[in-house]
Amino acid sequence: MIAGHTAGDAFADPTSASRFADADRSLGVPRHVACVMDGNGRWAAQRSLPRTSGHRAAETTVIDVIEAARAAGVEWLSLYAFSTENWSRPSAEVDYLMRLVRTVVRKHAPLLHARGIRCRFLGVSDPRIPRELARDVADLMTLTGDNRGMTLTVAFDHGGRRDIVAAARSLIRAGVAAEAVDERSFAAHLPFPDTPDVDLVIRTSGEQRISNFMLWQVAYAEWVFPTVLWPDFRAPHFLECLHTYRQRDRRFGGVLPERNGDSRS
Amino acid sequence: MCCPSGTEIPDRDHRRRRNPDSAQDGATEFDDGTSRPSAANANGHGPLFGAGSRFQEFVNDPRWALAIVRATVLEAAHPQVGAALIDNSTFVAHPWRRLRNTLRSLQRMFGDDEQVRLREAARLNRLHARLGGTDPRGRPYSAMDPAIRAWVVATLFESTVTMCRLGGQPLEQHGMERLYAEFQAYLAAMGDEAGHLPPTLSEFWPYYDHVVAQELENTEAMRIILYKLFDHLPAPALLGGVPTLWATGRAVAGPLIGAITVASLPEPFRRRAGLPEMPGAQTLMQGAYLAVGLARFLPDGWVRADAVADLLALSPDSDDPRARAVTALHDRMRRAGALIRLITPLPPQPEPASRTGAERGAEEFFREVLDQTGDGYLDWPDLAAMARELSTRLDLEEPEETRLYDAYADWWRELQRALDTDGDGRVSAREYATAVPSLAGPALIKVAEVLFDATDKDGDQHIDADEYRTLFQTAFHRDTVGTDRTYTRGAFVRDFLAFMSGRRRSTAYDPLLAQA
Repeated sequence: MIAGHTAGDAFADPTSASRFADADRSLGVPRHVACVMDGNGRWAAQRSLPRTSGHRAAETTVIDVIEAARAAGVEWLSLYAFSTENWSRPSAEVDYLMRLVRTVVRKHAPLLHARGIRCRFLGVSDPRIPRELARDVADLMTLTGDNRGMTLTVAFDHGGRRDIVAAARSLIRAGVAAEAVDERSFAAHLPFPDTPDVDLVIRTSGEQRISNFMLWQVAYAEWVFPTVLWPDFRAPHFLECLHTYRQRDRRFGGVLPERNGDSRS
Repeated sequence: MCCPSGTEIPDRDHRRRRNPDSAQDGATEFDDGTSRPSAANANGHGPLFGAGSRFQEFVNDPRWALAIVRATVLEAAHPQVGAALIDNSTFVAHPWRRLRNTLRSLQRMFGDDEQVRLREAARLNRLHARLGGTDPRGRPYSAMDPAIRAWVVATLFESTVTMCRLGGQPLEQHGMERLYAEFQAYLAAMGDEAGHLPPTLSEFWPYYDHVVAQELENTEAMRIILYKLFDHLPAPALLGGVPTLWATGRAVAGPLIGAITVASLPEPFRRRAGLPEMPGAQTLMQGAYLAVGLARFLPDGWVRADAVADLLALSPDSDDPRARAVTALHDRMRRAGALIRLITPLPPQPEPASRTGAERGAEEFFREVLDQTGDGYLDWPDLAAMARELSTRLDLEEPEETRLYDAYADWWRELQRALDTDGDGRVSAREYATAVPSLAGPALIKVAEVLFDATDKDGDQHIDADEYRTLFQTAFHRDTVGTDRTYTRGAFVRDFLAFMSGRRRSTAYDPLLAQA
């Protein structure tokens, strides 16, 4: 656990962080890391700022974490940006988030591409999503679709149960016989079926909930709950979470630990 | 070409120098023993420096700024140059100031005036002599290492050549040789012995390819330039007052410069550093080649509409050999279209103004003034960068320059004692903000006095309008300092301390030390 972090760690030397990552690559970097980006509102409240400024401060963390994950050798990074339940927030905040995501997507698109990162958005089906944002998201996926570096999945307007329901519908439409349905064939009908199981979930701000996040994929994930709020979360925190992960004894319900990222089925 | 060949021991006494009096006809004479670059190449085709040189054709070309950016990335990818940049350079926090200093220095070095060139070379040598240390892996570096300086010059030369090539006007062999001779002379003017750059152009390319393939690395400094600087390029002084306009411009220019720079880097290096193809830039080039290529087969002014229609009607899954190329091109166009849509600027959105009040917050002052290298820590290189900027502005020579550096070094020790609470040898933004320090110790006052002496060139204990303009590059328009329109020592020290310790904004010092 990385509880007990002070905000001072945010100033840690980024160069030492990347060296740390290089040295540890052989010890088992999780293949798929997911982050539940929690604590933006509290971060702003602690500073007597509007909630929106917490979201804006989160941008720096997102970029920092993407670079840290890539440098550490993580192959799949998923970020939980907006859940299907978040639509119930005040409409001004939702509007702000939509604008912010669009700005961030446009601002960072060329350099995400330059870094060889393949970007995907999981969800993005609600008609309330502004058309311009949907267009930019589609453009970003088109632009980076052939990249072979890290795959960044942004869960936006995402719900884990909804994905499972969608897979069930897809199976029925495909006319698959009940006997033919197993975990593997079911997973093939989930959105982005090439996504491997999540090895490590990081939920910031100390909250310990799943919140309907990639339910199918997190089945055997290790979870860490750093107390630091998402806008204060930086590369050193991320690397510490990877370190915590390596201390865990993963059994997948059995006795012998397996290599991370191995397919179960 | 310059005369020393690879087999000869470079002998400074036998190099030719330009006689300033005979510059008109390009005549040369043998040197009296001090190292001087030759003013004309061996073939006698015009001067290597000043009007008529190839360099002068490029220096005002707007594309050259891109070439310098590209050269800087290639420099930064050299492990030793990268380490020097990381430790000492202000290019992250003050990129425009650094670009301006670089351009001015190059203009002085390549200008007509031999005396200016000698002084600039001496200044650069003093500056480089202060830049040394060890990189994060413990490998030593020194900015005086002639092999490193040769590589820096090599990147400038090669980037200029590449700029012409990508612009569709490649230099002919002779012009390239001339330009190479000029850059060799540049290195020689700094007093470096010949031999670190290959003697001839034909030997240069294998040397260049070798360094690119064997020595360049995906260094921290290169990553910072490519990924951080272009994302967060601070506004140049001119646009400082219109942050919205700059934010919009940067949203286009930053990523675009990044994309173009990445696309123009040598392929072997891009592959090794993991930098992918940029579809926009590649398609642009391909489109141009295609147009030029097709035009060659067309009779003048006659478009073969049937052939074009034929191509357009081609089914992507037909077995025509052209189909694959068309499909691939279509794919690239799709991605290029996505990129272009993404980088098209959005209508400006209002941003909350933060530049209010005369006093900065501690964090703001730390970021804008103290942390010159932009790494989040206050360390000796930050103060050395201030001393460097001031001595560049004032065009200081020895011993004044050393006096200024010494004053700054004393101030650094004073700051370290007062602020470095965790004893790691440097001051973090947090340590600075927590202490809310009073910086006006005796060492800072000493800095102000040394700076006053250096600015007061005629030593009359007053800074007059000209001296003021030299330091601040702005007109002297205070009416509070006395009736004689000069700046007294007391007022100067007081203002300097108000800026440095009171964190007051200042129309004079802000452009000098805080501006990007």
